[in-house]
Amino acid sequence: MDINQQLELKKEEILKKWFESTINSYPEDTAKFLKKSKNQFDNPVGSATLQSLENTFRAILEMNISKNYKYSQDIVEQNKIENALDPVIRIRAVQNFSASEAVAFVFELKNIVKSTIGKLNDQNSLEEFKGSSSYELFEHKVDLVALAAFNRFMKCRENIFLLKATEAKRRIHSAFERAGLVTELNENELVGSSKS
Amino acid sequence: MSKELKPDQLLDKIDHTPSCGNWMDTPVHIRPGMYCYAAKAESVETLGLPNARPWNPTDDDWKLPENWKEIIHNAIKERLERFRTFKIFMDICVRCGACADKCHFFLGTGDPKNMPVLRAELLRSVYRNDFTKAAQILKMIPGGEKLSGGRPMTLDVLKEWWYYFFQCTECRRCSVFCPYGIDTAEITIMAREIFNLLGLNIDWIATPISNCYKTGNHLGIQPHAFKEMIEFFTDDIEEITGVNVEPQFNKKGADILFITPSGDVFADPGTYTCQGYLILFKYLKDKYGLDVTWSTYASEGGNFGFFTSHETMKRLNAKMYAEAKRLGVKWILGGECGHMWRVIHQYMDTMNGPADFLEEPVNPITGTKFENAKSTKMVHITEFTADLIRHGKLELDKGRNANRIMTYHDSCNTSRGMGLLDEPRYVLQNVCDNFFEMPSNTIREQTFCCGSGSGLNAGENMELRMAGGLPRANAVKYVHEKFGVNTLGTICAIDRAALSTLMEYWVPDVKVYGIHELVGNALILQGEKERETDLRCDPLPGMEEEEDE
Repeated sequence: MDINQQLELKKEEILKKWFESTINSYPEDTAKFLKKSKNQFDNPVGSATLQSLENTFRAILEMNISKNYKYSQDIVEQNKIENALDPVIRIRAVQNFSASEAVAFVFELKNIVKSTIGKLNDQNSLEEFKGSSSYELFEHKVDLVALAAFNRFMKCRENIFLLKATEAKRRIHSAFERAGLVTELNENELVGSSKS
Repeated sequence: MSKELKPDQLLDKIDHTPSCGNWMDTPVHIRPGMYCYAAKAESVETLGLPNARPWNPTDDDWKLPENWKEIIHNAIKERLERFRTFKIFMDICVRCGACADKCHFFLGTGDPKNMPVLRAELLRSVYRNDFTKAAQILKMIPGGEKLSGGRPMTLDVLKEWWYYFFQCTECRRCSVFCPYGIDTAEITIMAREIFNLLGLNIDWIATPISNCYKTGNHLGIQPHAFKEMIEFFTDDIEEITGVNVEPQFNKKGADILFITPSGDVFADPGTYTCQGYLILFKYLKDKYGLDVTWSTYASEGGNFGFFTSHETMKRLNAKMYAEAKRLGVKWILGGECGHMWRVIHQYMDTMNGPADFLEEPVNPITGTKFENAKSTKMVHITEFTADLIRHGKLELDKGRNANRIMTYHDSCNTSRGMGLLDEPRYVLQNVCDNFFEMPSNTIREQTFCCGSGSGLNAGENMELRMAGGLPRANAVKYVHEKFGVNTLGTICAIDRAALSTLMEYWVPDVKVYGIHELVGNALILQGEKERETDLRCDPLPGMEEEEDE
């Protein structure tokens, strides 16, 4: 059985553990709630996190790459991973996490898979399994997901600062406009940088 | 049966690891992105509020008056005697946790101190320590202090208060779920009053109230500029419709005085809502002879004094009745705003009333008596417009809004604060064909706050705003993906500004519109030319090609 089949077989257990370890990055009282409530509107963080992890895991399974694949090699592949990660990263980018804390959950997947699939391999020992080329490829995929998470985190943070800047520019510009100082400039041109 | 756990198995499952500590022992960390800048000294001085000086929330020294602990103790004591609600709310919470997961700030930030019960406990713990007999007796026993749930006031406690009571928008969603009806917003209101006794306001509140006190509106716009801005809209409307809407200012003896938040006059996209009002008033004047006047004195409907202290709120609100009296109008019509309406609906009459010089509001066109405004003499514009539509008094072309696939955000203050739930929806459904509700646990009384209300719509606390607005944005995203919703309608000036930014982060394809902007688009003015664009100068549905040519 190759690793993809094993990942597929143990998908639910892996996802459950991955979700729990991600949610455990929150304070204890918060984590309890985020794990418990299933309604996506009463618990937007818990449900978006779960959904995003599921999509990311599926993207890993569907990733058809070799060991030598470099992150930015295929823009379609890259977007697929980043889009899957977007909801969870977008949330963590505005919460009380440092950059490393915000993306650390991705690396946890390696340990979770080791402990879950390791148990499954009756024939091979865990050490042998870890040394297998298919496992190495899986770890490479997780590394790619980590890079994607970092990319997306930076985009979200840039987005936040752009929103701050755009609001400030709008405010200042309308003050100048009222004072008749910028009649020749139009507001869309001035804040147009937000579109780029 | 075999699946049931045996007692020893059950015992094995108990986690004996101690929890990571009591909330009281978790120190506050004032994180950039989550707090608003400190009030400027000159703004604090304008209203004669105490301890005006430059200070920085991230500094160790907050430059407090020497007797600050005494000031806080006396302030709590005075408020316990003055406000029965505050006294009751301090005593009756049983910490059942029903409110815990109902706060948008808790849901978005994941910070347990944003659970309403815990946020209130920040203050309640000091109340218990200082004012309850039980705590005083328990203090005599070793370790008894913790048993009572009390703690003494320290600088760290004050900083924690400040950080978290400025992470509450006073939206009152938590109070909907409280079995005792505790209104946590009132606890935040008390905490903020206490901050103002120590000079600890934020600038996003202090400078607008200072401006409002000096020039009549939060933005500090002088009367001539206010008038010029509305005349500028008049030119824009004439270009689009071919009709001069001829607004009237400070007209003595007009039927109705119209007051709206200054954000409608100076901040996009509220300015388009303002143009909607102008079109409506022109229509009513031409067709029914209704005489509405604007005021350059009462040029602000909003009231950030509400987020400062009862006294400040009263001082800023006073101009509404004063101007209505001076102009000799029959009653007052108010524009689309949130907190403005909480002040009007729940405080104005007792603060600055009785307005016995005004008439009980009756719509002169339909004859409808606005019973709910009998005492305040002030009617919300969506009630007024809904009444006109109900009686078939407006000619509307819905097709002009055919490209708007709408959902509606209930503003906290109008929905939970005054029960205005159906009128805006009624207006909306009469000016647009495509309307989809967000899920029921996110609208009407259970609406989620925009995350930027109660003076928190600053730029420097963007992370807080985006996290606090997440539950609202999450519901918008759902209807956007499910029904293709591209427009979020609202009747609050802060929402129009705040939700626009919120959407840019979470659901960028959705734009924010005021309800009367859509009314302005749909309303057919007498003698108007064929319109090619909407009020934003975007081509009307069906006009796109002509625009391209």
